Amino acid sequence: MSVDMLLVHDGFTEEWVEQGFPAASVRSDREVRDAYERLGTRRRPVVWIVPDGSQLVALAESGDQLKSNHRLLLLDEAPDVRKDLLHLLFRVVVTRGKGVSLLPIEELREVLASGERADLFVAGVVDPAAEVVVLYRGDLAPVVVPFAWFLRRGPAPRPNFRDFQVTDYGQTVRFGKYEASTDAILYAHDADYRRRAKQRRLQQDDSLGACIRRLRLARGLSRADFPGVSDKQIARIERGEIVTVRARTLAAIASALQVELSEITSY
Amino acid sequence: MPFSLRLPDAWAKLGWKAKIREDERNEEPHVSILFKLWTWRMSLRTGEFLDVSPPPRNVPVELAEWVWANREVLRGEWDEKYPENVVFSQEER
Repeated sequence: MSVDMLLVHDGFTEEWVEQGFPAASVRSDREVRDAYERLGTRRRPVVWIVPDGSQLVALAESGDQLKSNHRLLLLDEAPDVRKDLLHLLFRVVVTRGKGVSLLPIEELREVLASGERADLFVAGVVDPAAEVVVLYRGDLAPVVVPFAWFLRRGPAPRPNFRDFQVTDYGQTVRFGKYEASTDAILYAHDADYRRRAKQRRLQQDDSLGACIRRLRLARGLSRADFPGVSDKQIARIERGEIVTVRARTLAAIASALQVELSEITSY
Repeated sequence: MPFSLRLPDAWAKLGWKAKIREDERNEEPHVSILFKLWTWRMSLRTGEFLDVSPPPRNVPVELAEWVWANREVLRGEWDEKYPENVVFSQEER
Protein backbone atom coordinates (compact mmCIF):
# COMPACT_ATOMS: atom_id res chain seq x y z
CA MET A 1 0.00 0.00 0.00
CA SER A 2 1.49 3.33 -1.02
CA VAL A 3 1.85 6.05 1.60
CA ASP A 4 2.58 8.58 -1.12
CA MET A 5 -1.19 8.78 -1.42
CA LEU A 6 -3.83 8.48 1.23
CA LEU A 7 -7.51 8.13 0.50
CA VAL A 8 -9.99 9.32 3.10
CA HIS A 9 -12.97 7.42 1.91
CA ASP A 10 -16.68 7.38 2.32
CA GLY A 11 -19.42 5.93 0.12
CA PHE A 12 -18.27 8.09 -2.78
CA THR A 13 -14.80 6.57 -2.99
CA GLU A 14 -15.74 3.08 -1.80
CA GLU A 15 -15.58 1.88 -5.38
CA TRP A 16 -12.02 3.17 -5.70
CA VAL A 17 -10.95 1.08 -2.72
CA GLU A 18 -12.78 -2.00 -4.02
CA GLN A 19 -11.04 -1.67 -7.38
CA GLY A 20 -7.61 -1.58 -5.77
CA PHE A 21 -6.77 2.11 -5.96
CA PRO A 22 -3.07 2.24 -4.99
CA ALA A 23 -3.30 4.31 -1.82
CA ALA A 24 -3.50 3.72 1.88
CA SER A 25 -7.02 4.39 3.06
CA VAL A 26 -8.51 5.73 6.28
CA ARG A 27 -12.10 6.23 7.28
CA SER A 28 -12.78 7.25 10.87
CA ASP A 29 -11.86 10.58 12.52
CA ARG A 30 -9.39 8.70 14.69
CA GLU A 31 -7.67 7.13 11.67
CA VAL A 32 -7.51 10.50 9.94
CA ARG A 33 -5.88 12.15 12.98
CA ASP A 34 -3.41 9.29 13.44
CA ALA A 35 -2.40 9.38 9.79
CA TYR A 36 -1.95 13.16 9.86
CA GLU A 37 0.31 12.93 12.92
CA ARG A 38 2.24 9.91 11.68
CA LEU A 39 2.91 11.24 8.19
CA GLY A 40 3.13 14.94 9.02
CA THR A 41 6.86 14.93 9.73
CA ARG A 42 7.81 13.17 6.51
CA ARG A 43 9.89 15.23 4.15
CA ARG A 44 8.30 13.57 1.15
CA PRO A 45 4.83 15.00 0.68
CA VAL A 46 1.77 12.79 0.96
CA VAL A 47 -1.19 13.40 -1.36
CA TRP A 48 -4.46 13.21 0.53
CA ILE A 49 -7.54 12.49 -1.57
CA VAL A 50 -10.69 13.49 0.23
CA PRO A 51 -14.35 13.73 -0.85
CA ASP A 52 -15.30 17.14 0.60
CA GLY A 53 -12.96 17.98 3.46
CA SER A 54 -15.50 17.69 6.25
CA GLN A 55 -13.56 14.69 7.52
CA LEU A 56 -10.54 16.92 8.14
CA VAL A 57 -12.07 19.80 10.04
CA ALA A 58 -11.44 18.18 13.41
CA LEU A 59 -7.70 18.26 12.70
CA ALA A 60 -7.65 22.02 12.99
CA GLU A 61 -8.73 21.79 16.62
CA SER A 62 -5.18 20.82 17.54
CA GLY A 63 -3.27 23.99 16.84
CA ASP A 64 0.15 22.42 17.27
CA GLN A 65 -0.41 20.20 14.24
CA LEU A 66 -1.04 23.00 11.81
CA LYS A 67 0.80 23.16 8.50
CA SER A 68 2.36 20.01 7.18
CA ASN A 69 4.08 19.04 4.00
CA HIS A 70 0.89 17.29 2.85
CA ARG A 71 -0.98 18.09 -0.33
CA LEU A 72 -4.75 17.85 -0.51
CA LEU A 73 -7.11 17.04 -3.35
CA LEU A 74 -10.79 17.64 -2.64
CA LEU A 75 -13.04 15.74 -5.01
CA ASP A 76 -16.15 17.79 -4.19
CA GLU A 77 -16.58 21.52 -4.00
CA ALA A 78 -16.21 22.88 -0.46
CA PRO A 79 -17.37 26.17 1.06
CA ASP A 80 -14.76 28.94 1.05
CA VAL A 81 -14.51 29.00 4.80
CA ARG A 82 -13.58 25.32 4.84
CA LYS A 83 -11.00 25.88 2.13
CA ASP A 84 -9.39 28.58 4.28
CA LEU A 85 -9.25 26.14 7.16
CA LEU A 86 -7.72 23.43 5.01
CA HIS A 87 -5.05 25.84 3.80
CA LEU A 88 -3.90 25.95 7.43
CA LEU A 89 -3.41 22.20 7.40
CA PHE A 90 -2.01 21.50 3.96
CA ARG A 91 0.74 23.08 1.92
CA VAL A 92 -1.19 22.63 -1.33
CA VAL A 93 -5.00 22.46 -1.60
CA VAL A 94 -6.60 21.62 -4.95
CA THR A 95 -10.36 21.73 -5.12
CA ARG A 96 -13.20 22.31 -7.51
CA GLY A 97 -14.44 25.86 -7.62
CA LYS A 98 -14.79 28.96 -9.73
CA GLY A 99 -12.11 29.12 -12.40
CA VAL A 100 -10.65 25.73 -11.46
CA SER A 101 -10.51 22.96 -14.04
CA LEU A 102 -10.33 19.48 -12.55
CA LEU A 103 -10.33 16.31 -14.64
CA PRO A 104 -13.60 14.36 -14.77
CA ILE A 105 -13.72 11.90 -11.88
CA GLU A 106 -13.06 8.75 -13.94
CA GLU A 107 -10.08 10.32 -15.70
CA LEU A 108 -8.85 11.68 -12.39
CA ARG A 109 -8.91 8.24 -10.81
CA GLU A 110 -6.96 6.69 -13.68
CA VAL A 111 -4.32 9.41 -13.66
CA LEU A 112 -3.86 9.27 -9.89
CA ALA A 113 -3.58 5.48 -9.98
CA SER A 114 -0.94 5.63 -12.69
CA GLY A 115 2.79 5.45 -12.06
CA GLU A 116 3.09 8.34 -14.53
CA ARG A 117 0.89 10.69 -12.51
CA ALA A 118 3.65 13.24 -11.90
CA ASP A 119 3.94 13.74 -15.68
CA LEU A 120 0.24 14.45 -16.18
CA PHE A 121 -1.91 17.38 -15.04
CA VAL A 122 -5.01 16.80 -12.95
CA ALA A 123 -6.13 20.38 -12.40
CA GLY A 124 -5.36 24.01 -13.00
CA VAL A 125 -6.50 27.54 -12.39
CA VAL A 126 -6.03 30.75 -14.37
CA ASP A 127 -5.05 33.98 -12.61
CA PRO A 128 -5.86 36.73 -15.14
CA ALA A 129 -4.51 39.53 -12.93
CA ALA A 130 -1.10 37.92 -12.55
CA GLU A 131 -1.30 36.55 -16.13
CA VAL A 132 -0.29 33.06 -15.07
CA VAL A 133 -1.79 29.59 -15.18
CA VAL A 134 -1.15 27.32 -12.21
CA LEU A 135 -1.24 23.67 -13.26
CA TYR A 136 -1.23 20.78 -10.79
CA ARG A 137 0.42 17.49 -11.63
CA GLY A 138 -0.89 14.15 -10.42
CA ASP A 139 1.31 14.40 -7.32
CA LEU A 140 -0.22 17.88 -6.83
CA ALA A 141 3.10 19.62 -7.40
CA PRO A 142 2.24 23.01 -8.95
CA VAL A 143 3.73 24.34 -12.19
CA VAL A 144 3.32 28.07 -12.83
CA VAL A 145 3.21 29.03 -16.51
CA PRO A 146 3.03 32.69 -17.59
CA PHE A 147 0.53 33.61 -20.31
CA ALA A 148 3.52 34.83 -22.29
CA TRP A 149 4.78 31.26 -22.73
CA PHE A 150 1.61 30.25 -24.57
CA LEU A 151 1.76 33.40 -26.68
CA ARG A 152 5.48 33.31 -27.48
CA ARG A 153 5.17 32.15 -31.06
CA GLY A 154 2.06 34.04 -32.02
CA PRO A 155 -0.14 30.94 -32.26
CA ALA A 156 -3.27 31.00 -34.35
CA PRO A 157 -5.84 30.91 -32.96
CA ARG A 158 -4.71 32.80 -29.89
CA PRO A 159 -5.28 31.12 -26.52
CA ASN A 160 -8.49 32.24 -24.86
CA PHE A 161 -7.52 32.21 -21.18
CA ARG A 162 -11.13 32.63 -20.09
CA ASP A 163 -12.03 29.25 -21.59
CA PHE A 164 -9.68 26.87 -19.82
CA GLN A 165 -9.71 23.11 -19.40
CA VAL A 166 -7.34 20.31 -18.44
CA THR A 167 -8.35 17.40 -20.67
CA ASP A 168 -7.31 14.15 -22.43
CA TYR A 169 -6.49 12.41 -19.13
CA GLY A 170 -4.19 15.27 -18.19
CA GLN A 171 -2.25 15.17 -21.46
CA THR A 172 -3.65 18.44 -22.83
CA VAL A 173 -4.34 21.96 -21.60
CA ARG A 174 -6.95 23.78 -23.66
CA PHE A 175 -7.61 27.52 -23.90
CA GLY A 176 -10.56 28.01 -26.25
CA LYS A 177 -9.51 26.55 -29.59
CA TYR A 178 -5.84 26.48 -28.67
CA GLU A 179 -4.32 23.36 -27.12
CA ALA A 180 -0.90 22.78 -25.58
CA SER A 181 0.40 19.34 -24.75
CA THR A 182 1.40 18.59 -21.19
CA ASP A 183 4.64 17.23 -22.60
CA ALA A 184 5.55 20.59 -24.18
CA ILE A 185 4.68 22.50 -20.99
CA LEU A 186 6.67 20.24 -18.71
CA TYR A 187 9.57 20.14 -21.16
CA ALA A 188 9.78 23.92 -21.00
CA HIS A 189 9.26 24.33 -17.25
CA ASP A 190 10.73 21.32 -15.49
CA ALA A 191 14.45 20.56 -15.78
CA ASP A 192 13.99 17.04 -14.37
CA TYR A 193 11.34 16.24 -16.94
CA ARG A 194 13.57 17.66 -19.68
CA ARG A 195 16.49 15.48 -18.56
CA ARG A 196 14.31 12.38 -18.61
CA ALA A 197 12.95 13.27 -22.05
CA LYS A 198 16.48 13.86 -23.30
CA GLN A 199 17.56 10.50 -21.89
CA ARG A 200 14.69 8.77 -23.71
CA ARG A 201 15.53 10.58 -26.92
CA LEU A 202 19.22 9.75 -26.71
CA GLN A 203 18.41 6.10 -26.19
CA GLN A 204 16.44 6.23 -29.38
CA ASP A 205 18.48 8.39 -31.72
CA ASP A 206 21.79 9.97 -30.80
CA SER A 207 23.13 9.94 -34.34
CA LEU A 208 24.95 13.00 -35.65
CA GLY A 209 22.16 13.63 -38.16
CA ALA A 210 19.44 13.56 -35.50
CA CYS A 211 21.41 15.96 -33.28
CA ILE A 212 21.93 18.38 -36.15
CA ARG A 213 18.24 18.26 -37.04
CA ARG A 214 17.16 18.91 -33.43
CA LEU A 215 19.60 21.79 -33.11
CA ARG A 216 18.62 23.28 -36.47
CA LEU A 217 14.93 23.27 -35.55
CA ALA A 218 15.66 24.66 -32.10
CA ARG A 219 17.57 27.53 -33.74
CA GLY A 220 14.74 28.13 -36.19
CA LEU A 221 16.98 27.55 -39.22
CA SER A 222 16.08 26.03 -42.55
CA ARG A 223 18.40 23.71 -44.44
CA ALA A 224 19.28 26.62 -46.70
CA ASP A 225 20.79 28.57 -43.79
CA PHE A 226 24.16 26.82 -43.78
CA PRO A 227 26.73 28.88 -45.73
CA GLY A 228 29.07 26.62 -47.64
CA VAL A 229 26.85 23.53 -47.26
CA SER A 230 23.99 22.82 -49.65
CA ASP A 231 20.48 22.17 -48.35
CA LYS A 232 20.58 18.80 -50.09
CA GLN A 233 23.74 17.88 -48.23
CA ILE A 234 22.23 18.93 -44.89
CA ALA A 235 19.15 16.81 -45.63
CA ARG A 236 21.29 13.77 -46.42
CA ILE A 237 23.35 14.22 -43.23
CA GLU A 238 20.18 14.55 -41.15
CA ARG A 239 18.76 11.40 -42.67
CA GLY A 240 21.98 9.50 -41.94
CA GLU A 241 22.75 8.96 -45.62
CA ILE A 242 26.15 10.60 -45.15
CA VAL A 243 27.77 8.94 -42.17
CA THR A 244 31.28 10.38 -42.42
CA VAL A 245 31.10 14.14 -42.62
CA ARG A 246 34.20 16.12 -43.60
CA ALA A 247 35.74 18.21 -40.83
CA ARG A 248 35.35 21.39 -42.86
CA THR A 249 31.66 20.70 -43.50
CA LEU A 250 31.09 19.91 -39.85
CA ALA A 251 32.80 23.14 -38.81
CA ALA A 252 30.53 25.11 -41.15
CA ILE A 253 27.49 23.37 -39.70
CA ALA A 254 28.60 24.05 -36.12
CA SER A 255 29.22 27.70 -36.97
CA ALA A 256 25.73 28.12 -38.45
CA LEU A 257 24.22 26.38 -35.42
CA GLN A 258 26.25 28.62 -33.10
CA VAL A 259 27.73 25.77 -31.10
CA GLU A 260 31.19 24.35 -30.58
CA LEU A 261 31.95 21.44 -32.87
CA SER A 262 32.29 19.09 -29.92
CA GLU A 263 28.88 20.12 -28.56
CA ILE A 264 26.76 19.09 -31.53
CA THR A 265 26.21 15.52 -30.36
CA SER A 266 25.24 16.68 -26.86
CA TYR A 267 21.92 17.95 -28.23
CA MET B 1 -6.26 24.84 -33.11
CA PRO B 2 -5.04 21.26 -33.17
CA PHE B 3 -6.06 19.22 -36.17
CA SER B 4 -8.08 16.18 -35.13
CA LEU B 5 -8.33 13.37 -37.60
CA ARG B 6 -11.83 11.97 -37.55
CA LEU B 7 -11.52 8.33 -36.57
CA PRO B 8 -14.04 5.58 -37.29
CA ASP B 9 -16.75 5.53 -34.61
CA ALA B 10 -15.62 2.23 -33.16
CA TRP B 11 -12.23 3.71 -32.21
CA ALA B 12 -13.51 7.16 -31.31
CA LYS B 13 -16.08 5.74 -28.90
CA LEU B 14 -13.34 3.87 -27.08
CA GLY B 15 -11.53 7.19 -26.58
CA TRP B 16 -8.84 7.01 -29.26
CA LYS B 17 -7.82 10.33 -30.84
CA ALA B 18 -5.36 11.35 -33.54
CA LYS B 19 -4.14 14.94 -33.51
CA ILE B 20 -1.55 17.29 -34.86
CA ARG B 21 -0.90 19.38 -31.81
CA GLU B 22 0.50 22.81 -31.09
CA ASP B 23 4.01 23.53 -29.83
CA GLU B 24 5.62 20.59 -31.60
CA ARG B 25 7.46 22.54 -34.29
CA ASN B 26 10.87 21.33 -33.10
CA GLU B 27 9.98 17.68 -33.42
CA GLU B 28 10.10 15.33 -36.37
CA PRO B 29 6.81 15.71 -38.27
CA HIS B 30 4.33 13.34 -36.66
CA VAL B 31 0.73 12.68 -35.73
CA SER B 32 -0.04 12.12 -32.04
CA ILE B 33 -2.28 9.14 -31.31
CA LEU B 34 -3.87 9.54 -27.89
CA PHE B 35 -5.61 7.00 -25.71
CA LYS B 36 -6.28 7.63 -22.04
CA LEU B 37 -2.93 8.37 -20.33
CA TRP B 38 -0.76 7.61 -23.32
CA THR B 39 0.44 9.31 -26.50
CA TRP B 40 2.18 7.61 -29.41
CA ARG B 41 3.97 9.70 -32.05
CA MET B 42 3.79 8.30 -35.58
CA SER B 43 6.22 9.73 -38.12
CA LEU B 44 4.54 11.41 -41.07
CA ARG B 45 7.57 10.56 -43.17
CA THR B 46 7.76 6.83 -42.61
CA GLY B 47 4.71 5.71 -40.64
CA GLU B 48 6.99 4.35 -37.93
CA PHE B 49 6.43 5.09 -34.28
CA LEU B 50 9.02 7.54 -33.01
CA ASP B 51 9.17 6.32 -29.41
CA VAL B 52 9.75 2.95 -27.83
CA SER B 53 7.61 3.95 -24.86
CA PRO B 54 4.68 3.61 -24.63
CA PRO B 55 5.06 0.38 -26.63
CA PRO B 56 3.80 0.84 -30.21
CA ARG B 57 2.32 -2.68 -30.09
CA ASN B 58 -0.40 -1.27 -27.80
CA VAL B 59 -1.87 0.66 -30.71
CA PRO B 60 -4.27 -1.62 -32.60
CA VAL B 61 -2.78 -2.46 -35.98
CA GLU B 62 -6.01 -1.59 -37.78
CA LEU B 63 -6.05 1.85 -36.18
CA ALA B 64 -2.39 2.54 -37.03
CA GLU B 65 -3.06 1.47 -40.61
CA TRP B 66 -6.12 3.69 -40.79
CA VAL B 67 -4.17 6.71 -39.53
CA TRP B 68 -1.34 6.02 -41.99
CA ALA B 69 -3.83 5.67 -44.82
CA ASN B 70 -4.74 9.31 -44.12
CA ARG B 71 -1.13 10.46 -44.26
CA GLU B 72 -1.62 12.91 -47.12
CA VAL B 73 -4.26 14.84 -45.16
CA LEU B 74 -2.06 14.76 -42.05
CA ARG B 75 1.04 15.86 -43.96
CA GLY B 76 -0.89 18.78 -45.39
CA GLU B 77 -2.10 19.83 -41.96
CA TRP B 78 1.39 19.53 -40.48
CA ASP B 79 2.96 21.58 -43.29
CA GLU B 80 0.34 24.28 -42.86
CA LYS B 81 0.89 24.43 -39.12
CA TYR B 82 4.68 24.23 -39.23
CA PRO B 83 5.85 25.71 -42.56
CA GLU B 84 9.40 26.02 -41.19
CA ASN B 85 9.53 22.26 -40.52
CA VAL B 86 7.65 20.62 -43.36
CA VAL B 87 7.33 16.86 -43.73
CA PHE B 88 9.30 16.80 -46.97
CA SER B 89 11.46 19.66 -48.13
CA GLN B 90 11.45 20.64 -51.81
CA GLU B 91 14.44 18.46 -52.69
CA GLU B 92 12.88 15.43 -51.02
CA ARG B 93 9.66 15.61 -52.99
